[in-house]
Amino acid sequence: MFNININSIIICFKHLRKTLFSNLFNTVITFLIILFIGVACFYTFEWLIFKANWKAVISNLPLYAFGSFPPKEQWRPAIWIISLLLLSIFTLCGPDWKWLRKNLPIAWVGSIPLGLYLLYGGLGLSPIMSRHWGGLTLTILLTVCSSLLSLPLGIVLALCRQSSLPLIKKLSSIYIDVMRAIPLIAVLFFGQLLIPLFLPVGIEIDRVWRAIFAFTLFVSAYIAEDIRGGLQSIPYTQTEAANSLGLNQYQIIQLILIPQALRIALPALTNQFIGLFQNTSLMAILGLVELLGVGRSILANPEFIGQYIEVYVWLASVYWMVCTIMAVLARHLEQRMTINQANF
Amino acid sequence: MKTNQKILLQFGICIFLFILIGILINNLTINLLRTGLGFNFSWLFKPASFALAEHPLPYTSSDSYAWALFIGWLNSLKVIVSSLILATFLGTLIGFARTGKNSLLGLISAGYITVIRQTPLLLQLMFWYFVGFLGLKDNMFIQIKNIFNLSNQGIEFSGLTFSSEFLALLIGLSIFTSAYIAEVIRGGILSVPRGQWEAFRSLGLSESKGLIRIIIPQALPAIIPGLTSQYLNLAKNSTLAIAVGYSDIYAINDTITNQTGRAIECFIILLFSFLLLNLLITNTMEIINRLILKSQKYS
Repeated sequence: MFNININSIIICFKHLRKTLFSNLFNTVITFLIILFIGVACFYTFEWLIFKANWKAVISNLPLYAFGSFPPKEQWRPAIWIISLLLLSIFTLCGPDWKWLRKNLPIAWVGSIPLGLYLLYGGLGLSPIMSRHWGGLTLTILLTVCSSLLSLPLGIVLALCRQSSLPLIKKLSSIYIDVMRAIPLIAVLFFGQLLIPLFLPVGIEIDRVWRAIFAFTLFVSAYIAEDIRGGLQSIPYTQTEAANSLGLNQYQIIQLILIPQALRIALPALTNQFIGLFQNTSLMAILGLVELLGVGRSILANPEFIGQYIEVYVWLASVYWMVCTIMAVLARHLEQRMTINQANF
Repeated sequence: MKTNQKILLQFGICIFLFILIGILINNLTINLLRTGLGFNFSWLFKPASFALAEHPLPYTSSDSYAWALFIGWLNSLKVIVSSLILATFLGTLIGFARTGKNSLLGLISAGYITVIRQTPLLLQLMFWYFVGFLGLKDNMFIQIKNIFNLSNQGIEFSGLTFSSEFLALLIGLSIFTSAYIAEVIRGGILSVPRGQWEAFRSLGLSESKGLIRIIIPQALPAIIPGLTSQYLNLAKNSTLAIAVGYSDIYAINDTITNQTGRAIECFIILLFSFLLLNLLITNTMEIINRLILKSQKYS
């Protein structure tokens, strides 16, 4: 045991020497980097601990989490976020019981109605208008609702683009190409303005749902292209095999094509959803007070004026953390899917 | 499916779409009548009556909306092209550092890529603008012999002036895109078989010469399509200029929409200006791609 350890350390050193100090140029670069890292770390820690004034962050923590949600009712979004967090932890390092693993997807889907119920209120909870929603809660709500809506729409669009019917194929490819050509902020801005114009008089949708619809329309075009890539990489023999088993066309699509395409497209879809999460920040310049919007309104407060760096560093680390959680969850899902495949 | 079944299905979908579009247009006309706005483009030639801080061509507030939009389009083009060049340069450097032999350098570039990719672009732009430029105090400017002049108004470089809005956008977009370009470059380099590296080393070529003469030409066909899509993303992301107050095509469109209330016309104009930008980028990249393929064939 001990011998192996020493050997591995020697190998490690040899590897280091080979990669870091192979020639003079490389050695100089390595030392410069070490110096740079040292200086950067020193100044960062000095700033983080001594110079930075974290008052703008610490005294506003509930604002970052819940926006202007009435303080008495803030336990409701808190419960939702904590349950999402627990669900992630459970998915990642929970026990491997079969019934649990089977029911986890249901729990994930069920968390959305739960969140909406907790935010909207009604049925025993006092109702709260959507203009009071804000902060990280709103960011997560926008992300979760838009991704859940855009996934089926994207699948349908991808299937339509692969369809043998020329009209359907043409229409869906026009939609996808046009959506992919325009910037997201334009879709969101004109979504806010145009959606009410296309609705009959008297029917109104609030800002949050207009944003969710605009995000859905936009992201589904990108998801459609990712899934199309997945569909195209499925060998044609799969369809032939299914045909010879006597499955009809809908069964082939539902049981053979979509599961495989989703598995192949999963890394790309993860990137889309992480991108969607980051892009919800655009709503900050379009009048919703989500995470970045809260940051902006705090910076506009004369009490915290000029504390840009602290607020931005804090926001960046929150975004970074949630993105990392999403990426880790997706990698976990990917691994499970390949394990399932290996079992068959 | 049988042929007549197919035709029937398409016919049904056609009718459904017609009805849907009919209902939507009906709603739209009712709503437009209610607000008193019709649908026409004659307002484009009325005076815009707003000032623009930045205009590459002469512009005054008495010029027409159409001219203002064109100026905005030029402003967009200016920031897209300049950050495209800067991002490609930065991204290539980082991509090479990421794939290079020095593992510490690789680690640092991997960290750079993760941090940049995991934070929203809008936040980064605000950081560069409010912290990077407006954070510079009036008395804290760098001046080198009247040639290079950095202050919170921007940079003045031997007679050329760049506003701080433009520079913040340029830096933010370039750094954000460079992280994605670095990944494209890395993918391209990794797509070259290992045998090629071993072959040029055994031929006695130096590392840098082998990289330039052997590896990069073979990596380019894999890199160009990825680069094109990153450039298109860059063009779309440049519309976040509105957050730092740079008057690009979207910002001007936004102002006009708020001023005139003509959301549908403005949306159509924006759509076409972006189709034009996209066509410009894809065609240029297509020409570059063809040149590269050609030069490789006859070399």
